[in-house]
Amino acid sequence: MVRGSVTLILLTLAMPSLSAAETISFGDSMGKLAASCGAEIVANCRGVNPDSTRLKECLSRNRDVLSQQCASDYLAAFDAIQKRVAARITVANACQREIVKICGGSTKQTSRSIPCLVSTPKGISNNCLKAVDDAGYR
Amino acid sequence: MRPKGFPAAGIGIAFGFGFALLAGAAGAQTAPPARDDIIAKLNHFEEDAEVDLPELKQQVMQRAKARIRNDPGPVNRPLIAPDLAKLPAFNVQIQFDADTPIIQPASYQTVGRIADALVHSSVLPYTFLIVGHVESNSKTREANAILSQRRADAVRDVLVNTFKIASKRLQPIGLGEEQFLDRARPTSAVNGQLQILTSAKLPEEAPAHPVAAPAPAAKKPARKR
Repeated sequence: MVRGSVTLILLTLAMPSLSAAETISFGDSMGKLAASCGAEIVANCRGVNPDSTRLKECLSRNRDVLSQQCASDYLAAFDAIQKRVAARITVANACQREIVKICGGSTKQTSRSIPCLVSTPKGISNNCLKAVDDAGYR
Repeated sequence: MRPKGFPAAGIGIAFGFGFALLAGAAGAQTAPPARDDIIAKLNHFEEDAEVDLPELKQQVMQRAKARIRNDPGPVNRPLIAPDLAKLPAFNVQIQFDADTPIIQPASYQTVGRIADALVHSSVLPYTFLIVGHVESNSKTREANAILSQRRADAVRDVLVNTFKIASKRLQPIGLGEEQFLDRARPTSAVNGQLQILTSAKLPEEAPAHPVAAPAPAAKKPARKR
């Protein structure tokens, strides 16, 4: 009994982190960055392109003068971009079986197997499909 | 459709008036493109374009520098690379700071959407040209050729550095005023658009790994990169 409920609690605790793994599109992240920090970027980071390293550095340097909205959003926006990029690596793990067995590919060149993974109607695990979605391949 | 007489260079001034106006300016622009619209424009690939980019770059600079007496005027100026006009194309207005390759926040979402499109499975096997253009304005054609190249380079850099699009899939080229998108109206903002063109299929078997291949042979191609 007790063990059962502990498992249940652990599972419910794990759920939010699972759903948090879902990524958002680059367009939405960039839209959020521009909406929250557009004025600050123009005022303080003139001459800096939306490069994830340099623009983040510039905004961090100017933290003191950022609006509350911008200060609370810019790191999240860059993190979201980073997460979606990192999700591509997850595909290699989550889809290892499918890439090798169904698509005849190699996890060293995952991107070459993506069109196959996406167009194969059956036999792709949910875990793999979720990874494919997180990476923005579909 | 697209607001007329709203050259990219003019937007920089609008920014000085504050964020409210910026939002207004952004609203006056066409809304950021949808990812699937970009994909639909780019995923009908037919055959590899045979473009010698270093050669084309040289041609652009040479023609932009050439004496004006040879110029038939912008309206009659022939396209410098007519073959490029046949490739699948997505044309988009990116707002840059005047005379710089700095992308304005108003266009961040658009650049993000382009990145979203380029990672989609249906265009993953292809390589793309990022083509910069500048509309006819008070600057010299040479200055505009250089500016368009720097802008194309900047967009490529953001796609590669921020969104980790493989750099081998993206080749930037600036055509300045040498390849108008709307020749009848050389000063129109349409001619300052950025183009993404589907140019080739990625080679099928990049590094061949025959089982019997001796180790040194396998290493060589890697060194070339």
